[in-house]
Amino acid sequence: MNDSAAAHDDTILALDGLAKTFRVGFWGRPVPALRGVSLTMRRGESLGYLGPNGSGKTTSIKCIVGLIQASAGKVSLFGGDPGEAQRRARVGYLPESPYFYDYLTPVEVLEYVGKLYGMGARDRAQRSKMLLGQVGLEHAARRPLRGFSKGMLQRVGIAQSLLADPDLLIWDEPLSGLDPMGRKEVRDLMASLRADGKSLFFSSHVLSDIETLCDAVCILDRGEAVAQGRLSELLRSEELESEALVDLPSSDGRAAVLANLADLPGANLTDLPSGIRLLLPTAQVPELMRLLLEAGGTIRELSQRRDSLEELFLRKAVRRGEGAA
Amino acid sequence: MSTVVTQNGLQLHTSGPLAALGRVGAVVGNTLREAGRAKLFYGLLGAAVMLLGFSLVLSDLALVDQKARLVQSFGMAVVPLVCVGTAILMGALLLHKEIDRKTLYAILPKPIARGEFIAGKLIGLCALLIFELVALALVWWAVLSLRGGHMTGAIVRGLGLHAIELVLVTSIAVFFSALTRPVLSGLLTAGVFVVGRVTYLITEFLAARKGLFVEVPAMRALGKALVVAVPDLSTFAVTDPILQGWDVPWSYCLSASLYGLCWALAFAVGAVLLFQRRDFT
Ligand SMILES: Nc1ncnc2c1ncn2[C@@H]1O[C@H](COP(=O)(O)OP(=O)(O)OP(=O)(O)O)[C@@H](O)[C@H]1O
Ligand SMILES: [Mg+2]
Repeated sequence: MNDSAAAHDDTILALDGLAKTFRVGFWGRPVPALRGVSLTMRRGESLGYLGPNGSGKTTSIKCIVGLIQASAGKVSLFGGDPGEAQRRARVGYLPESPYFYDYLTPVEVLEYVGKLYGMGARDRAQRSKMLLGQVGLEHAARRPLRGFSKGMLQRVGIAQSLLADPDLLIWDEPLSGLDPMGRKEVRDLMASLRADGKSLFFSSHVLSDIETLCDAVCILDRGEAVAQGRLSELLRSEELESEALVDLPSSDGRAAVLANLADLPGANLTDLPSGIRLLLPTAQVPELMRLLLEAGGTIRELSQRRDSLEELFLRKAVRRGEGAA
Repeated sequence: MSTVVTQNGLQLHTSGPLAALGRVGAVVGNTLREAGRAKLFYGLLGAAVMLLGFSLVLSDLALVDQKARLVQSFGMAVVPLVCVGTAILMGALLLHKEIDRKTLYAILPKPIARGEFIAGKLIGLCALLIFELVALALVWWAVLSLRGGHMTGAIVRGLGLHAIELVLVTSIAVFFSALTRPVLSGLLTAGVFVVGRVTYLITEFLAARKGLFVEVPAMRALGKALVVAVPDLSTFAVTDPILQGWDVPWSYCLSASLYGLCWALAFAVGAVLLFQRRDFT
């Protein structure tokens, strides 16, 4: 079997040079919100879409679900145009700070949404009961949304996005507005959806929240994708650092050894009462060991510092800022 | 009808005319439910009922043999007018509310075409307005019988024509509300309604030997444009002829209905085309 054909079949979402320029004010001043974002997402993958405020996450998502038209480039959803209603049957979308008809109750919202998906009456009732339980809204299931808090609306939003058992979930900031318990619940929910084989595309700016949830990330800054790929590869590709806690015998040569250690390329040394703390590129660890062996020192602790997503992201953003200046 | 079976064995009926009908029906249902839970509609309904009650008081001032006639002409003027007012008001707000409250953002990404959504909103509002027309007509009938008057077949047919007019006005309102903000679209719809009621006059002016519409070329062009672009709503304004004893024949009802529904369809299609291009940011 042809490899590339199989790969193509597996692609459920692809952005190809997606760009959007808004026109604002009377004169239609152009405001570029997206400047050519490309990415592909495979079935079963979960992709974290990251970026600071105003970087274009929501704009991309609205292009994907057909709420806005791209100015240039293309969105391909299940291999076609998201403007066609049928394409969206396998998608569950959670808008950023979701709003629903405030005169409806959660049960009625799900009833309405289920009809739009063409679900039968029994399925609607069954799924709606199950999902309202899952998002913790049984107690408010028959109250109009008018009095709901932000987090409760978010839960209604999550429930309605899952109603038709979609293959692809597109969630714009699923964790926003939730209390700590709620965040944990939704994270657990996402993990179990992932285990079920669902594909997840979700945006966030709380990086630590999603680090453990996604296979791949795409980091957006000012409308451009500044980093993307499998999380493990992205993290490996960055220069890794190690942290060592070192003890040296207090002898005459101590100062000289300290100087040698500090001279290791890229090293950063702090002499603390509790020991010497050394940050250095992982490549320099053998050299560190050699020096310590000669001086009769010991390593109390040695660990690989893994770049967190946050640092990766900040570094990218800073670099771009420098480039622009 | 083809169905999609989801990973967990759920059946989704998403393609085919029946499925489309189901989606439109869902939007209609929600539109009716919204109106049913809103104060605006009941306010308008209450005001109209009070107005009809007022005609009862008014009729006491009339001569004995004129009482029924007064209630009759009063109701025939008030009932359709209140309904047209409701159509303009609620039509202008119909899409705006969805956009302003961002409720649309969760609905349009569902597997529903924008045209189906507009169709559902439009049909829902029309159904509501026809319900209003019927309810007011019943109240009016009650008032009329208190004063010794009675409903005639001609009056009922006349009300039927007003129902068609309501459908047309609603689709004009929705057309404008797909184009611009609610206040402006309300004003534009009201403008079209007024001009539509007097296009026959413009036609007469254009055919006259002299006058503004004949002598000033710009006015002539404007007049011609209005006659072409604005439906002739006087077709549905049969109150005076009925009061003068005209029977409103069925053949007239049929052609007038056809005329009105074609225009309504044209405006609805226009609304869908406008709505389809729109970005919801
Ligand atoms: N309707 C609009 N008109 C003009 N500019 C807009 C419009 N909507 C978005 N923008 C601009 O597009 C850019 C991207 O906005 P977007 O909402 O996609 O950001 P985001 O990444 O979702 O931000 P956040 O994290 O705050 O949700 C911003 O600069 C914003 O000002
Ligand atoms: Mg956003």
